[in-house]
Amino acid sequence: MLASYPPALMAFFGDVMTMNTPQGYFGVYYASYMPLIVGIFVCSAAAGLLAGDEERGTLDLALAHPVGRTALFWGRWLALMVATGLILLLAWLGWAVTLPFTDFDVSAVNLLLGYLPMWAMLGLFGALALLLSMVLPSARLAATTAGALLVGNWLLSGLAALNDNLQLALDLTPWALFQGGEAIVALAWGPLLALKGSAVALLALAWWLFLRRDIRVGGERSWSLRGLRRA
Amino acid sequence: MATQPALSIHGLTKAYGNVAALRGVDLEVGRGELFGFLGPNGAGKTTTIRCLLDLIRPDGGQARVLGLDPRADAVAVRARVGYLPGELSIEPNQTAERALRYFAQLRGGVEWAFVRELAGRLQLDLRAPIKNMSKGNKQKVGVVQALMARPELLLLDEPTSGLDPLMQQEVYRLLGEAQAGGATVFFSSHIISEVEAIAERVAIIRDGRIAETLDPHDLLRRSVRRVRVRLREPLPEGALVGVLNATDIQRDGANLLVQVEGEMDALIKALAAYPVIDLETERPTLEEVFLTHYVEN
Repeated sequence: MLASYPPALMAFFGDVMTMNTPQGYFGVYYASYMPLIVGIFVCSAAAGLLAGDEERGTLDLALAHPVGRTALFWGRWLALMVATGLILLLAWLGWAVTLPFTDFDVSAVNLLLGYLPMWAMLGLFGALALLLSMVLPSARLAATTAGALLVGNWLLSGLAALNDNLQLALDLTPWALFQGGEAIVALAWGPLLALKGSAVALLALAWWLFLRRDIRVGGERSWSLRGLRRA
Repeated sequence: MATQPALSIHGLTKAYGNVAALRGVDLEVGRGELFGFLGPNGAGKTTTIRCLLDLIRPDGGQARVLGLDPRADAVAVRARVGYLPGELSIEPNQTAERALRYFAQLRGGVEWAFVRELAGRLQLDLRAPIKNMSKGNKQKVGVVQALMARPELLLLDEPTSGLDPLMQQEVYRLLGEAQAGGATVFFSSHIISEVEAIAERVAIIRDGRIAETLDPHDLLRRSVRRVRVRLREPLPEGALVGVLNATDIQRDGANLLVQVEGEMDALIKALAAYPVIDLETERPTLEEVFLTHYVEN
């Protein structure tokens, strides 16, 4: 049946011919689109972590209490990463419970390791959304921009298998570091740490910006492109 | 150190893009003062207060709160300050009690019995969801959260905004009690009568600069009020001649419209000789005070 699929379709979803292996099945049916689905939630939540409260005016009062900006920033980021981890953990649990009833020759622990690249990827796009929320005029615009980049990167990862030039472009994006189903057999720590390191760099920049910026109230000092305004 | 002023501001400047909000604010508030910060909308009251809490960063100048730099020691400053923002926003999907418990946890050391006492005095139902509350009731939640930790310094941005007159009086009493307990109270307002009622000193801010710091009673003395008088019969010609400070007398039958500058005593005594049916005084708005005093000067 798989052999009857158009080659382009098979290439888009990865190496479909390896679907009779655990890593192939996990990669095609799960790791290829799970980061996209959870990623939309993470981009939206990360963009609103601070900017959302700022737009609602509630950040003003929270920061009037003895809470430092650094503690607020990292505390909220940690909460988001824990929430994201719990979502992935629940997803893993679904696989782990049914694992004994399948022919998959993979342990529950190895399956869990397969979620680490996803978690790192989500962290990277979440960090990007948070950074964008520090520089763009609204949390919604930051979430939309980060989400669009995530979707674009996901599409590129599928199309790159069909075109060598696109593969070159993909190599410049975070998805090139994302290990799909193969991670449950042999987790590649190098790309994983590279994703984590990139996320930390983006977060450090977002934190630095948050420490230096004014907390807005009621649209005060909203961002604008001066050149466009004059036009 | 307790000898340092509660607030010390020198040459504070702040601009939002091309708009200068503060153009060099200089102000000093002593410990234990009940200080009014008066100015029309957009004068720079909120910007000044938010600079003091490091919510926004000034472009220039220096500020000290309880002897501390609000930027370098932001957490230490906020631990000792109770703040009520001018634009109060509280997460709507919770009750007042839950919101206040959250703020109490952020601050630490809050006696819940005191929170209940404050809520009782302001007739605030702690079980009511924030989203169902009127502006006045939300403002009460804001007042309670500012006062509940018994802070050394209260920074209140228009504390009685949205409250009915009875509750305004209760807030005035609470601020007086906080001051009696040793706290410094710094509150902004654009209503002269409010500042006059409770403040010991008042600073007037206009166009991002402190125009003057004075005794609040001086505000009223120097301002012009309009007095409408309805008599049983028209006043004889020349009846008010010589009455000090009564100017621009307009007659319409038995009705009079008189402008009075300063105290009303002379006018009241002059009118006492005639049958007065009604007497109504219009207090000047802050803008009118600016027009009659600062613009003329």
